[in-house]
Amino acid sequence: MILLAIILIAAASLALIAVSRTNRQMNTVCIAEAALFLAIAVWLLLSGQVPISSFVIGSQYFFIDHLGLFEVLISTIIFLLAAIYARGYVEGLIETHELGKGSLKLFYGAWAFLLTVILLAFFSDNLALFWIFAELTTVISAMLVAILYARDNIDAAIKYIFIASVSMLFSFVGLVFLFETSRSVSGEGTLNWTVLIQQAHLFPTGMMIAAFALVFIGFAAKSGIFPFHTWLPEAHARAPSAVSAILSGVLLNVGIYGIIRVFAIVHQTPAVTTLSPLLLVFGLLTVGIAALSMLPQKNLKKLIAFSSVENMGILLIGLAIATPLALFWVLFHIMAHAFTKASLFFSAGILHRQYHSTLSTDAVDDIRDVFRLQPLAAWGVILGGLAIIGMPLFPVFFSKLFILLQLGSVSLPALIILLFLLFITAVSLGYYVISTFTQVSRPETRDDIVAYDTPLGMKVPVIILLILMVFLGTVFTVGEITFLDRIVAELMF
Amino acid sequence: MIDPAFIQDVIRVLFAVVIVTAAYIISTRNMISLVSVYALQSLTLVFMALALYSLEGTTVLLAIACITFASKVLVIPYFIATIQERIRIKRDIEFHFLSPTTSLLLSMALMLFIYIALAHIMEGTPGRESLFFFGAVIGISLMLMGMMVTFSRKRAITKVLGYLTMENGVLLFGMFVTELPFIIEFLIIIDLIILVMLTTILTVGLDSTLEDYHNRLHRFHLVEDTEEGP
Repeated sequence: MILLAIILIAAASLALIAVSRTNRQMNTVCIAEAALFLAIAVWLLLSGQVPISSFVIGSQYFFIDHLGLFEVLISTIIFLLAAIYARGYVEGLIETHELGKGSLKLFYGAWAFLLTVILLAFFSDNLALFWIFAELTTVISAMLVAILYARDNIDAAIKYIFIASVSMLFSFVGLVFLFETSRSVSGEGTLNWTVLIQQAHLFPTGMMIAAFALVFIGFAAKSGIFPFHTWLPEAHARAPSAVSAILSGVLLNVGIYGIIRVFAIVHQTPAVTTLSPLLLVFGLLTVGIAALSMLPQKNLKKLIAFSSVENMGILLIGLAIATPLALFWVLFHIMAHAFTKASLFFSAGILHRQYHSTLSTDAVDDIRDVFRLQPLAAWGVILGGLAIIGMPLFPVFFSKLFILLQLGSVSLPALIILLFLLFITAVSLGYYVISTFTQVSRPETRDDIVAYDTPLGMKVPVIILLILMVFLGTVFTVGEITFLDRIVAELMF
Repeated sequence: MIDPAFIQDVIRVLFAVVIVTAAYIISTRNMISLVSVYALQSLTLVFMALALYSLEGTTVLLAIACITFASKVLVIPYFIATIQERIRIKRDIEFHFLSPTTSLLLSMALMLFIYIALAHIMEGTPGRESLFFFGAVIGISLMLMGMMVTFSRKRAITKVLGYLTMENGVLLFGMFVTELPFIIEFLIIIDLIILVMLTTILTVGLDSTLEDYHNRLHRFHLVEDTEEGP
């Protein structure tokens, strides 16, 4: 039933986009679609029926548990805000001929389809089905990256598709291993996660290590984990900012979600003692490579993109600790990072519109008079930057603090290395803001730059997200804590 | 009824054909024959599925043979060949990192490594007959050989063929190691077709100037003509 509702809404949206003629109409459809999906998610949340068995949803391959619902809530909120943001942003792109009018339908069609596929991915019980949806998100989002009228974008999109898809094939082989393991244990093979987690304690260690290692390759590539992160900065920096926010805030979560699901199965077996240190090493390497890449970075969007790589590393480290408390804060960090990163990309997008004539994706940003021209975006970047490096009042502070504390109880050297690396990322962001935002043009050239008249629709999402972040960083509601606790319990940590 | 031993021999011969086609895809510079060889490789997989069907009698294998034939022997090669004809690329002589000879040597080493690794991993699992184990080894080898093509070639169209070879490897592996539900196999094909279409369309963009590219998109009716403003 729920499945049917989702598919009907998606089909209606796609049909409406197909008959629409203008940016405004298509954009409205996308806003409505995201709002409807958000309404369904909130209704599920309030109904208190979660976890919902496959029977109610309408297919044995789907289910809804707290983790899936959690991810869907984050995704739909970001999609809704990004769609509101896109209205003004895309108009700007068309005016400057960066996006052809003929491509509008393709853009919004892909947008609406992407959200549907993401929802279905998070509601999939069957891991192979999840794999296919995850793979589809790569292809569709690559289309959104390639849509701009620039050769570099096509380059970035192709790199993204090939690195992610090739790695995802390894994941599939891993899933075949998992299927065969389940078949040898129970007689009848299945890839339904709910069944696998129940059988997991019977699985042989060797097979589990092989299966997890293979699955990890694919989902690590999707979430930008070292050494598969190379596509990420280019794709995120070159995509239109509304799309960058989705790539960073939602699509990276798809990869991490897959890792969490399979790791929960591994966690039931002795294989976890072998695999945890491996995750820790990959996490540290990911944070390390991101920190070192951020230091000399002079391009705002690339800087933010590398910061995403860093945060994925932190999530991996938190997962490697494998205690219930660490998992709790990993989940919290997923949410905190998604909102913070979306707000940063929205602000960066406004700056991109203001300075687009001089702002190429490779060149050093030539940002001048930023507080006079775009005060909101400037403050958005500053506050978002403070939030992402983990300053108090913002939610990342708590998740980073508790993941660090938990890490300290497992390995002190790892904690010291991570602290040092986090310090580097904070310095890089701070240095960028101080060196670029303080540039003022000479009085005689002052009037050469015309202020970009930022539409209200591009300002509102930034403000909403900043308010949401401060709320999440200061107030802990009982509902929120029980909700996250339920996820931890359902993952059987 | 055909003698099972004979069928097993047939499958062994087909394994050899698959490896030869993969070696050809790794080393050739001729783009036109690349597509035909890929089609031939897929056809070999179809025969393999049919041979397995006559051994085991599961209808899933028959279904796999059918959709593989329709999609990978007919539709995808035809689509790529059409695109190739229009963008007029005949040869891909640019190799990153690896020359064909090194790739071939490397893939031989890979196969040996996979054989040893899989023998180690699958030690405990029951009912691993030599034929099925061999199928798994060939499947993963094919996958890694495809990956080498994807990362060692410069042209996106050759990369696509590398990816397709990888996917054939996964199919082979899945066919011999276990029995996946048909719906999964079917969805993978759908995913594959979307991916191939998108990447080949983007390739047209990479291999031409941008203006040219957009003209071509219009010619292929992939993008609508510019509409009136709001």
